[in-house]
Parts: sequence; C-alpha cells; structure tokens
Amino acid sequence: MIAYILRRLLWMIPTFLGILMITFGVMRLQSNSLSQEMEKASGGEGGVMDAKLMATGVENYLARFRSTGLDLPALVNLRGFTTKEKVVDKLRRTARGPGVSEHRRNRLETDLWLEGHFLVEPLAQIIADDALAELHGPASLALSLCAYYPLNPDDLKRLSQEEQRRRQTRNFEVRSLRIDYVNTEKGFSTTDTDGAKKRATVAEFWKRNADSFSRSSQRWGAILGETGFCEVMGKLFTGNLFSVKRKEYVFNVISDRWKVSFTINLLSIIIAWCISVPLGIRSARRIGTIEDQVTTNALFLLWSLPSFFIGTLLLHHLCTDTASGRAWFPNRGLSSQDALWMSTPRYLLDLAWHGFLPLSVLCYASFTSLSRYMRADMLEQLRSDYVRTARAKGADEDHVVYRHALRNSMVTMITLGAGLLSELFGGFVIVEYIFSIPGLGSLLVEAAREQDAPLIMGSTVISVGLLLVGILIADVLYAVVDPRVRSRYG
Amino acid sequence: MNAFKIALLAVVAVLLLIQVIDRAREPAQLQGVKASVDQLTVAIQQQVQETRKLARALESGRVSAIAPTGTAAVAAAPDGAKDGKPKEGVNFLQPYDSSAYHADQVGGTLRYLEIPPTSVNYLLENGSSTADTYDLINDTLCTNHPAHPLDWYESLATSVVITDDYKTYTFTIRKGVMWQKPPLAKRKGYEWLDKDVELTAKDFAFWLEMIRDPNVQCPQWKGYYESIVDAVAVDDYTFRVRWSKKEYTNLDMTLGLRPLARHVYTRFADGSPIPAEQVPVIFNKHWFDEEKQHIGVGMYQIEVFEPSKTLSFVLNPAYWGVPYHFRRLEWDGVTKQPDAKLVAFKNGQVQEMDSLLTPSQYKAEILDGGEPRFDQKNGRAGPFGWERVHGLEGRSLYYYIGWNLRRPQFRDKRVRQALAYAFPKQRILKEVYFGLGTPQVGPVNPDSDYFDKSLVDFAYDLAKAKAVLAEAGFVDHDGDGWIDQVIDGKKVDFRFRASYYGANPNWPKVLSVYKDSLQQIGIELVPDPAEDNELRRRMDDKDFDGLCGGWLSGLNVDFQQIWHSKFANEPKSSNYPGFANKRADELADKLRLTFDEPERIAIAKEFQRIVFDEQPYLFFRNAENIFIWHNRKASDNDQSEVLEGVTEGLDRYHPLYNRTKLLWHLRN
Repeated sequence: MIAYILRRLLWMIPTFLGILMITFGVMRLQSNSLSQEMEKASGGEGGVMDAKLMATGVENYLARFRSTGLDLPALVNLRGFTTKEKVVDKLRRTARGPGVSEHRRNRLETDLWLEGHFLVEPLAQIIADDALAELHGPASLALSLCAYYPLNPDDLKRLSQEEQRRRQTRNFEVRSLRIDYVNTEKGFSTTDTDGAKKRATVAEFWKRNADSFSRSSQRWGAILGETGFCEVMGKLFTGNLFSVKRKEYVFNVISDRWKVSFTINLLSIIIAWCISVPLGIRSARRIGTIEDQVTTNALFLLWSLPSFFIGTLLLHHLCTDTASGRAWFPNRGLSSQDALWMSTPRYLLDLAWHGFLPLSVLCYASFTSLSRYMRADMLEQLRSDYVRTARAKGADEDHVVYRHALRNSMVTMITLGAGLLSELFGGFVIVEYIFSIPGLGSLLVEAAREQDAPLIMGSTVISVGLLLVGILIADVLYAVVDPRVRSRYG
Repeated sequence: MNAFKIALLAVVAVLLLIQVIDRAREPAQLQGVKASVDQLTVAIQQQVQETRKLARALESGRVSAIAPTGTAAVAAAPDGAKDGKPKEGVNFLQPYDSSAYHADQVGGTLRYLEIPPTSVNYLLENGSSTADTYDLINDTLCTNHPAHPLDWYESLATSVVITDDYKTYTFTIRKGVMWQKPPLAKRKGYEWLDKDVELTAKDFAFWLEMIRDPNVQCPQWKGYYESIVDAVAVDDYTFRVRWSKKEYTNLDMTLGLRPLARHVYTRFADGSPIPAEQVPVIFNKHWFDEEKQHIGVGMYQIEVFEPSKTLSFVLNPAYWGVPYHFRRLEWDGVTKQPDAKLVAFKNGQVQEMDSLLTPSQYKAEILDGGEPRFDQKNGRAGPFGWERVHGLEGRSLYYYIGWNLRRPQFRDKRVRQALAYAFPKQRILKEVYFGLGTPQVGPVNPDSDYFDKSLVDFAYDLAKAKAVLAEAGFVDHDGDGWIDQVIDGKKVDFRFRASYYGANPNWPKVLSVYKDSLQQIGIELVPDPAEDNELRRRMDDKDFDGLCGGWLSGLNVDFQQIWHSKFANEPKSSNYPGFANKRADELADKLRLTFDEPERIAIAKEFQRIVFDEQPYLFFRNAENIFIWHNRKASDNDQSEVLEGVTEGLDRYHPLYNRTKLLWHLRN
C-alpha cells in the first residue's frame, strides 16, 4: 500500500510542473506588452504619448516589468548570445517608413528595451561603430533603458549600501547617454549636436561598467536561471508572490477569501451527495416505474436550467422587498450585519437562512449527474452474478443492496469525488456574483479583470495542488474499496 | 431503544457543535467590542472638539458662526481682485465659502455602491475610485466652486499670487490645519503616530518630490509635471512652484496640488526615519500602504478599508473647514452584478445608486412602471427618487464616430456634413438608449460656459444628405445602387467600415440603424467590431474608415490634444482622424496662453464653429445616467441613523452632489 501511495506521489511531480508551466504560459500570453501598458496609461483611448512623457514614464514601466519578471523571456534566455548584427537588424526594424505598421514597430522597439543587461555590450559596440551612425540615437536610447535597473525595496535589504549607491548613480547616469534623434518616414537621423561627446561618454560608461554587464560570465547560467518561469516559481515557492495591483502578498489576499468559498462549497457537496446517492439507489431499485421516470425527467429538467438564470429568478422573486412587504430570503452575504452579537443557535439559523438559496443553486445541477451515475452503477451491480448469488443465499434485498452492491458501485462516485476538492477552492463564480458573497470565485474574476497575473497564478497553483490531493485521496480510496488495486501493487 | 440512542447521540453532537462554534466566534466578538470602543472614542473626541470650538466661539462672541444657516457665513463679497478669475500679481482667490453648511443637518450614515480601490495611495494607484477616496480624505490648495466651476476659491491655500508671466505660483498655506491620525495609531507600537502634526508647505513639496523622483513608480503622473522647474517650501507656510513656460493647463495642475503625509512616508513602521535616498524606493512598497492606511487633511478619515470590498469613512473631528453632512460614509464593493445591485438598493442596503441603472433597467423599472415605488412622472415624488444626470464623475461623456480624413471618400467636408444629415440621432437616442442622452453638437461639454449655444445641429434629412453628396460628386454613376466618384484617377465606391469596441452592447444597435439609413442614399456601412488590442492597432496604423469612440470632457477646455494638426500624423496621437485646420491650430495655441475668461470663451466658441463645420467627427450622444436614491429611511429594520430624506441633504455639501453632479440645480 505504501509503495502504491509513493508511486502516486512521485507521479504528481511532473503533473504539477506541467500544469504550472501551462498556467504560466497562458499568463504570459495574456499579459500586456510594455507598449500596451504604456498606451493604457498615456490617456487611454489614443492619448498623446509624447516623447517627454515616454522618457520618464518608460523607466517606471520598466521598473514594474523588472520587478515582476515580465521583462525576462518565458522559458529559455538566449539573450547573452545575441550578436551585434542581430541587434543592428532589430534596431533597423524599429525605423518608421512607408507601409511600416506603427503598432508592430512600437512593439518591437519596446520589446528591445526590455531585453536588459545582456544587450548593453552589443549596443555599446554599435554606438562605437562609425559606420552605423544613423543607429546611434536609437541604440543609445535602448542602451539607457537596457542598463536601467531600479532598486526595489527588497534590494535595500539584499544589496550593500555601496552597491545600492552605485546602482542609483548608474541609473541616473544612463539618462545622460541618450543621443537625440528623430524617427521619421525617412528613417532615423541624429539631431544631437553633442553626439560625438555623448558617444565618448557611452564608451567610457561601458568601460567602467563592463563587469556588471559582462555577458561571458553570466550567459550560461542565465539560459535557464534567468527566465520568467524561474522568477515566478522562485517567488511562488518562497511565498513572495506579490500583487502589485493590490500592494499585498498574494497568499494573504487568498487566505482572506478562501474560508467562505470552502465552507459553502463543502456544504453544497455534502448536500448534493446526501441527496443524490439515495436518490440514485432508489431509482435503480424501482427501475421502470413511474416514480423512476418522473424523477429522471424532473432531474434532467433541472439540469438543463442554467444556474445564473435560476439564481437571478430567485433573487428577483424571493429576495427583493416590494412595496407591500419584506422578502423571504436575504439577497446578499452569508450572515446578517449584526450576526456577531447573536447567540450561537440563532447565528446558525441565520447562516442557514442566508445560505439556503445560494446552496440550492449550487446543488441542484449536480443532483442529476451524481444520481444518474449512482443509478447506472447500482443497476450494473444488481445485475451481476455475485448479487444473484447473494440473493440465492436468501439475503434480504436491503442487505444485498447496501452490503454487497453499494460498495462496488462507489468506485465511480470516488472518481467523481476527486475533482471536488479543487471545485471547493475555485468557488462558484456565478453564485458568488449573484448573491454578493465575497469568496474566491469573485476574487479570481476581479484578478482577471485587473490583469493581476501573480494573483491568478497563486490561486491557480493552490487550486491545482488541491486537485492533486483530491486525486491522491481518490487513488487511496480505490485501493480501500477495490481489493484488485491493492493486490496489483502488493 | 436503538432509535432513542441515536436521537440522544444526535442531540449531544448538536450541542457539542454549538459549543465549538461558540468558542470559535469569541475572538471575532472581542475584536468587535474593541472596534466599537474605538468608534466610541472617535465619537467622544469629535464631541470634545466641537465643544471646544463652541467654547472658543463663545469666548470670542462669534456664536453665529458655529451653526451657519443660509448665507450667514458667506465671506466678504469679492472686492474685484478676489473674483476667482486667474490673473497675475494679485491674490485672486475668492474666500472659502461655508454658506451651504447646516450644522443641524449633520448626522447619519450614507451607504452606496462603489467598488473600493485596491490601494488608496493616490500617487501609485490612480483609478477613479482612488480619486474619489482622495477627494473625501484630502484637500487641494485651491478649489473650484460647484456652482461656479470656472472660479477659484481658497482651500488649503489662503492666497496665491502668480508672477513671472504666469510661470511662478506662490501660495500661502492655511495655518493650524492638522493631519488626520490613522486608526493604526491606536495599535501597540504605533503610538508615535498618535500626535498632532500641522500641515506645512513641505508636505506639498513632498507630493511633487515623490512624483518627480524617477524611483517612484507613478508614470501616470510624471508627464503632467515634467516642465516644473522647482517646487519649494520657502518657509512653513509659503509654497512656491515654478514652471518653465506659460501655459493655461498648468493652472489646474498647480492650484489642484495636494499635500502628502511627509511625517509618515519618511519613516519606518517603528517611527525611525528612513535615510533620505531610500525614501523614494521604499515609497513604492511602503508599510503604511501595506497596513491599508492613508491619511489626509480632508473632511473624512478612513475608518475601515478592505481592498475591493469595503471602505468606510468618518467625519474628521479636527477638520479645518466645513464638511459634508453625513457623519459616516460606507462604500459597498461586494455587490457587483447589476441585478443584485438593484435588489440591494430596493432592500434598503444602500441608499444611493449612481449611474448604475442600465438603460434596460431604466426602461423596465421606471418607464414601464415595473417598480411602483418610483414615480414615473416626477422623479422626486415616490418613495424612491430618480433623476437624469449628465456624464460621469463630474465630467461629461460624449460619443462620436471619427472619420479617417486620409481616406479619399472623407476628404470633402460636404461629404462629412451629408453623413451627419443622414444620421437619425433622435431616433437612436430614443430607441437604443430609451432617451438616456442628449445630442452632442460639438467638441465641448454642453454644461460648460465655453459651449457655443448658437450651434444648430444637423437635422435628420436624407434628401438633403443625398443632394449634398451629389454636390460633392458622389452619385451612382454605374447604376449598381451604391454612389461612387472618381478620385485621384480611381473609382471610389462609397463604402466604409465602422470600427467599434466589440464588448460595447450599444454600438451594434446604433450602427445597424445608421446602416439602414445610409443604404437608402447609396452608402454601404459595414460594422466592424474589434477587441481592445486590435482597436488600438487600427488607431496606431490609421487602419480604419470610421471609428466609434468616446471622450470625457470637463468644464474647462483645451483643444490641443485632440485637434491640433501637429499631432495629426504623430503615432499614438489622440488626433487619429488626422484633423488639420490652420485657424483651428492658431486658436488652440492661443487658448493655451490666454488666461482671461471672456477672451477664452470667445476663442473656444470660434473653435467650436470650425470643428462643427468641418465635422471630422460625427458628434453623437452626450451620455446621461439615472441617479436613484431613497427618499425615506432605508427600511423599518434599519436601525442606523439616516437623514430624513437623502434629497434634503442634496446640497453643495452632500457627497453625491459634489462627486458627480457639478451642475445640479437643487432645491427647485
């Protein structure tokens, strides 16, 4: 049995990693690029993004990207191997020209700025190259941004005072390296009268900082180590995933909300099972009778009604005060405002009163599937040989059903149960939304709306963790219920 | 016997469960008691402050100033210089006006549906709900009067003198204004916060210092203050801001500056000072924000703040000015679904809903009489009140279709005028929006003094549209049913795509009505929905024919961003239709340098006439919303103290009024 559990546990590791990777991938795909983030702030629907605003604004956005790991490549970092020629090519593609899509051009340009310290060396080489005069302007801007690594509060604890000061001075210094230029339909042209002087400063800057931006010593380790995935996973497993939008650690946000969802969903699952299993058994024992047909049809009717529809109907008809009187049920939350001061029995009644409609809406749809599975399984068992033998022995019908058939027909129910734990965590968005219950489901919706990637990542990981625990419990239960599983693994 | 045992066991189990839950609830109850005690303490402090004020007034023999009613407390009439109109060399601020404050009306809690922000640090988070929070908890140097929005009044500054060709602003800061004490000050270890700190000029300088520091992550703000030369606290009560150039838009930004609690943000949680060079870095992730605290010098102070969930305010007992009339305000962010919001309103859990009734809810609940507690005819007569209000957050919101003037078919202004003649504006407003909206006729907020009332909108007239198009050369030459013309040697059929944001439920309806109308005069309109990112791409690449959009516009005007030709070919510009008119450019430039109001109004009116004639946009709808409120106490069950009727409090010192309804004419 222990070998079996161990084997299951080991299998979970690749599954967990796989799921994490997929979630991370989806998050990366949906997150905004630097150009989109900047557009969003520069006046929304087509606000003017003038050069001045960009010059200071872009540093701030860079800082945000650098602190969340969004500036790094997702899985493999080959930036240390980018050659000067490649950078020249990239810079050229950011030039305006007839037929060039501004949208695409802008994206390429901002993506280049994000590439960070590995690009400083080739950019410095370009600026030093007389033959590439037209690129000196854009290359110097890119260099000033690639070399920009603002301090964040964690750095204050991590870095020595001297290093902090060095970084601050460097960040300040890089601004003065920018060679003014214009980017028009005819391409780049430098407008800076101090161009030559600034080029010399760049050369000098590179000389002084070659250590910090050295490629040869860092590029191999960076291939896998300096990636968005590593960054996010590092923060995730150390509990440091921080939601910039909420100014709070992700796990604190989640811990505030999960209790509500957990309780209400656990209750709904218990209720659903307590009703569906007996209903399924009863249907199976009375197969073909009018009762069975009525139950089946009624359940399918319920199943076909979407919960948001039923929820809204209930809200309007049972939870709304009218001119003539009070509503039957409360319209929101899980307890009254003064619940804290109620006696405990009254408090429990208050909870039941508040929870009745949300729970009903959560449960009714699962009655159908659970009870139909139960019915089908029970029927299969009741038709099998061992049941016939039991009956032939003279065992009474209840004994046959509950002692012999039920145990075997529970295998499917256990499989269904494996997914329930993660449902518990995920919460039921619609019901929370309609009945104004601040649970985890609504938190996820908020996070998605705010594009709060760390929060989504954190809750998904917990949800996945629970799903895996659920599967493990189911696996163990299989072994308990089914001797064949046990015997196979010794 | 067996059944008896089971029953007994069940009873014991239930009793045990109750006992366990009882124990589990104890810590929360204790916390509740503590919170109540804290609330009581604040209330007592408030009483003490009021009594002290009264005592001081009695001593100085100015009792009448304590409970001003009507116009008793209006300060001296403007002497000509202090008329609130910006001018150089003199203090032009009108005196602080406390006339609409009625001490006898103070009381009660107002609950309304507004989703609290995720963070209340306005520098780092500039969403609209953070802005609303800030209006309640913090004040600005000077303020606009709701009834005279273009005039400036004293607030935290008692005077401002502009010199150096409108480039230098020197403020005198009001004395004796105290920073609020955060609820955190009552917690162990934070006693250092529990002391009186006076507002000084340094707090204003600190606000700008943080914005302008490259380490502070507030890109949204930085652009506005780029051209400031310096901002210094000359002494504790003198604050000076110098700009590098004269610009009218600097006026709003300078007079609207706020203070930032320097005594908190420059310290660690234990009260020890943060080294100066680390202040901006730490500001991005400051312990005070993580504790969900924020303070200002405004009329309300934050009581409880749970991001995105709840936010409550209580009157600041030490407030220097006259506050709103409600003792407490509560924002409810839990209820988000439109139906659930309406139910919460009907059940009396919130007493106000602002711009939350959707057009279809308006039709069902009010127009069709679905909810008898609304009086269909007179919004103020029923137990529930309702009123149509313009715009959003104190600004008007107008919708339009912007034509891409680079496309051959839109080049001629007669064509654009014809497109306006062919647009059944009134019908669309009535059928799609159920009358919630007024026709927009130009680029200026119709509530503003700058609006040119002499503009007469294009009346729906298909025959006229057809005639104008023929005059511009667009007729059906090839008999295929669509009008066409040879432009630049190429035959152009009049066919265009109208891009709109796909998630907007109303544009498809509007466009389908317009499409029918245009079809009758031989123009083909193809509605072309796009998601956000794709819509931005179309704007960036100027890859659209018509683009459906909306702009928020305040009461003041500035035309450069949207209409100046210098932005016509700029990437990412707001002038994406590519509008270029020499006279309009001159006017827009001149407006930036003009501070004299009558002159500004004349410029703005001439500008509007040009844009109206040119029709680069098909100006469409000025949005209206339905504001609803409880005319009576929330419900019989509601034990909380609520004002007699919210309408009673809907005066200038009512949050609802101030927040969104700048131009409400109440007590009519």
